[in-house]
Amino acid sequence: MRYQNATAYRFLAPYLLIFSIFWLWPIINSFLISFQATRTVPWRFAPTFNWGRLIGDPAFFNALKNTLLILVIQVPVMITLAIVMAVLLNSPLLKARGLFRFAFFAPVVVGEVAYSAVFRLMFNLDYGIINKLLNSVGLPRIDWFSNVTPAMAVIMIAVTWRWAGYNAIILLAGLQSIPQDVYEAATLDRVSKLKQFFYITLPLLKPIIVFCAVLSIIGTMQLFTEPFLITERGGPGGGTETLGLLLYRQGFRSLNFGYASAIAYTMAGLAIAISLVQLWLTREPK
Amino acid sequence: MAAVTLKNVVKRFGVFEIVHGANIDVEDGEFVVFVGPSGCGKSTLLRMIAGLEDISGGEIAIGGKVVNNVEPADRGIAMVFQSYALYPHMSVEQNLSFGLRMNGNPKADTERRVKRASEILRIAELMKRRPRQLSGGQRQRVAIGRAIVREPQVFLFDEPLSNLDAELRVQMRVEISRLHKELGVTMIYVTHDQTEAMTLADRIVVLNAGNIEQIGAPLDLYDDPANRFVAGFVGSPKMNFLAAQVVGNDGNATLLELANHGGARLQKPLSGAPPAVGAEVVLGVRPEHFFEAGEGDCDIAVKADVAEHLGSVSYVYANAGAAPGANAGPEELIIEREASRQRATGDHMVVSIKAGQSLLFDKSGARIR
Repeated sequence: MRYQNATAYRFLAPYLLIFSIFWLWPIINSFLISFQATRTVPWRFAPTFNWGRLIGDPAFFNALKNTLLILVIQVPVMITLAIVMAVLLNSPLLKARGLFRFAFFAPVVVGEVAYSAVFRLMFNLDYGIINKLLNSVGLPRIDWFSNVTPAMAVIMIAVTWRWAGYNAIILLAGLQSIPQDVYEAATLDRVSKLKQFFYITLPLLKPIIVFCAVLSIIGTMQLFTEPFLITERGGPGGGTETLGLLLYRQGFRSLNFGYASAIAYTMAGLAIAISLVQLWLTREPK
Repeated sequence: MAAVTLKNVVKRFGVFEIVHGANIDVEDGEFVVFVGPSGCGKSTLLRMIAGLEDISGGEIAIGGKVVNNVEPADRGIAMVFQSYALYPHMSVEQNLSFGLRMNGNPKADTERRVKRASEILRIAELMKRRPRQLSGGQRQRVAIGRAIVREPQVFLFDEPLSNLDAELRVQMRVEISRLHKELGVTMIYVTHDQTEAMTLADRIVVLNAGNIEQIGAPLDLYDDPANRFVAGFVGSPKMNFLAAQVVGNDGNATLLELANHGGARLQKPLSGAPPAVGAEVVLGVRPEHFFEAGEGDCDIAVKADVAEHLGSVSYVYANAGAAPGANAGPEELIIEREASRQRATGDHMVVSIKAGQSLLFDKSGARIR
């Protein structure tokens, strides 16, 4: 038996080695680095140096506020939209279902830089299609990238566009696993389609919705591409700087690895905490 | 309570016609079973009565009112599904009351109906449980309970027992029979199991490939089937079919020669016109209608292949037409023997057929009376 286990571990060894060097060690090491002052030569152990700075850093709180704001507004909107899309995709009335399924999923496949460039163009002040549309219905054009609120809106719209379809496909799989005869029983019980949605579909879909929400929370906590590329490094004036962007700025612009590590651990901790709260709030009653 | 009438009911899926003009009259308070092999259209017929499938042609009336364009919920029916179709996220109590609550039924009345259903089905102690915490039989009871609280005029059952084990099936069969007596409501029940049909039904509708083969009381179908399909489908073990040829006609009797039994002949009296001499026919004999050699009108020799001993009776699976020393014949016969007369495997035996306890069919399967 022991010999058999040893053989198994020998086969696993190449993977475990790579995993240890490139995953496990960086995770441990960054935790250790977060307790070191890394802008002195040599680095020195200073447990409160980075963590102390974090607590009093307005840039950190600004990034935290921005990240949570996006989380609180964008994730519920996106999940709601994804549920609506999934229900529409699941409708027996829909023709060319495969085409729509692909179309909704396609944004995930598009390269991040390309999609960011397109969004920058679409929301351009002078010749973006969005302002042209606003003008055409008699509304004034908006300077999307010079003010914080519209810039935040652009990020939320972009993230929603990119990920709503992805979540819709996951939710669609959940919808399709709900047996049809449950709906037939409800139809015989004179339960309207709308009530069937709220009293049968949503409760039965809950585990999948929670799964999508947790994935989205983790994704949003790490949000980087959109504020980096669409609103040009968290502009205007740090108004859309997220925790991910702050981490990048500290770690790779200022080469302050200790502080960046502390930010990274804060992000991970927050994602875990929020996900746990989410799971606890939506747990199955005994 | 209500009668259910089907007039020339047709169902098509695209170009495929599944049900070809069904005519059925279910009387008020009657228990009617639709039975037939898989794909015969029996479930489709039931779902059309429920309103879950559109009717492609013909007319369905419940309680004298044509319901072709009436919503399922307004037809006065309740349905029990094969898979139970319970709401998995609701307790038993919520499952029972869901429909009533959603329709704003007064709370006191809802409670009364749920209580009554739980008492009828003896599920009062399960009310707080979720469906996944119930056994198959308990789930089926809850599904029936959900139908009861609707206080329908007609109960529809779609193969309700096919997901249960053999013992539970017998138990639930008795319960459904009891329920019918207690409620006195019209019930239409779909099954592929002819035993269920025989034990539950006031009348059976035998379906085959979208056609109604015969409608009648269980024993009428057993004793007097309209054709070879019904004769073969009703009864367990199945009726034996022996190939034969008409070799002569004498007044009201026809003389048959059994093709696989070395020229054994049987004089079979008929009430109608006998088939032409030389016609190929099929003689149907139920397993219990084989007698000891010399007791009947025609003796045949068979070789016992396998014997199933059930205690009170034994079923001998025998190869017909195999004289001692010969190879196995082309026809396998199932012969019922009393336990005391059981044969060992490999035995040669001679059994006897009585003309009065056999049925004659022409080549197309139609009955020759």
